[in-house]
Amino acid sequence: MNAHKNNYRGAAMKAQALLTPLLVLSCLFASACATQLEVVGQFPPALTHKLPLRSLVVFEPDFANYRFDSTVGEEVSVAVGQIQVELFSGLAASLFQHSSTATDMTDNNDVDLILVPRVEDVQISMPNESQLKVFEVWIKYNLQLFDSSHEPVADWIMTAYGKTPTRFLKSDTEALQQASMVALRDAGAHFITGFSRVPEIQQWLRQRQTRAQATNDSTHR
Amino acid sequence: MKPLTIGSALIRVLLLLTLSACTTTTVDEYRENDTALTLASNERVVVLGRRHYADYETEPDFIDCIGEKLNADKLVTVLPERQFVDLLYPWFEPRTAPLGLKRLAKMLDEPLIAQRFNKQGLRYMIWIDGSTETTEREGSVSCAIGPGGGGCFGFATWEKTGTYEAIIWDLHTRQESGRVKVEARGSSYMVAIILPIPIIAQVQDQACDGIGRQLRSFFRANTRRELASGTP
Repeated sequence: MNAHKNNYRGAAMKAQALLTPLLVLSCLFASACATQLEVVGQFPPALTHKLPLRSLVVFEPDFANYRFDSTVGEEVSVAVGQIQVELFSGLAASLFQHSSTATDMTDNNDVDLILVPRVEDVQISMPNESQLKVFEVWIKYNLQLFDSSHEPVADWIMTAYGKTPTRFLKSDTEALQQASMVALRDAGAHFITGFSRVPEIQQWLRQRQTRAQATNDSTHR
Repeated sequence: MKPLTIGSALIRVLLLLTLSACTTTTVDEYRENDTALTLASNERVVVLGRRHYADYETEPDFIDCIGEKLNADKLVTVLPERQFVDLLYPWFEPRTAPLGLKRLAKMLDEPLIAQRFNKQGLRYMIWIDGSTETTEREGSVSCAIGPGGGGCFGFATWEKTGTYEAIIWDLHTRQESGRVKVEARGSSYMVAIILPIPIIAQVQDQACDGIGRQLRSFFRANTRRELASGTP
């Protein structure tokens, strides 16, 4: 009976000894297939004329911690929250005479314009899915703008695109980091060059100017 | 007979690895006129790659390579692409970069941008458009590993074609100064008998060498003339 028990225990130990490296290997393979990254980088200050406005950029937690997760095909997880905060803080500092940031709209009322950026959608295309030799990243933002009394000024749907070609000995993580940075720089370019061209913003700026002129005229009389 | 030591075997493998396959390069040039491009000692050139196409983009390392070729004899000072694009952010991103001289002229009418150009002493802008692609691929190499060891076996060949065009814009006259077109082709091979031995055609390097040398001649001719007229 004891001999049987010992044989059984020995077989179990052998199976365990075989299973452990197999499990470790399968875990390693599973993690090798998944692409996880937090986009990091720096943006140069934008070369643009400053608008005579005091702005407040509201970074809601959803925006500041935004992470794109895709489980279709290869598992991809890209965190863009922190880098987006850095991008929009820098853009506001370049475009507006005064700019500040907050996590809530009620934080500060001593401003002319409140900008609340939101991520509507992120799409990622890998070479094995698209059959193209490029990694692509699309980001769709909804930039909501409010005046000092929290009245909506504009809902600006702004898209950004970035790509990077596949390279020999370049990992998927590295390629996605580059494509994401190109997309974020593109978002910045779109924001700076397109801000004053959005019809609702254009109209609001014009109304503000007319109001300011009328106030000036009445004080001079 | 002496047994083959690990050191000598490694040297042999390395020698084989340095073998490079043949590449053919064709360079076409177009100049607006016979006079060479003038560049004062405080003036610089910027080389930029086109990145707005959906299916390809000019490789940043190719742009760096052309910059190095232009700067080889210290006649032409080149402002690095990344530095230029950051200094003029967001006006030279794929979305905003001018595709033609009319758009550039309009851009330079903006004092803020023109001032930045002047501060950097920029005289010429060279746009590079093109890429290196693998055009043909044949054969295969397979590798296996087991408890007794491993190795590879097979033969593979692939052809690469690099097609690039350089366009020179004069930022003072706001006109095109010349064009250089280069096409480089080369076949690479991989022979595997236990160890894989690649024989790689340096297509991109050859294209860079061809285009870089030709672009340098646009400026060098002028220096030669200056030197000749200066000799008593």
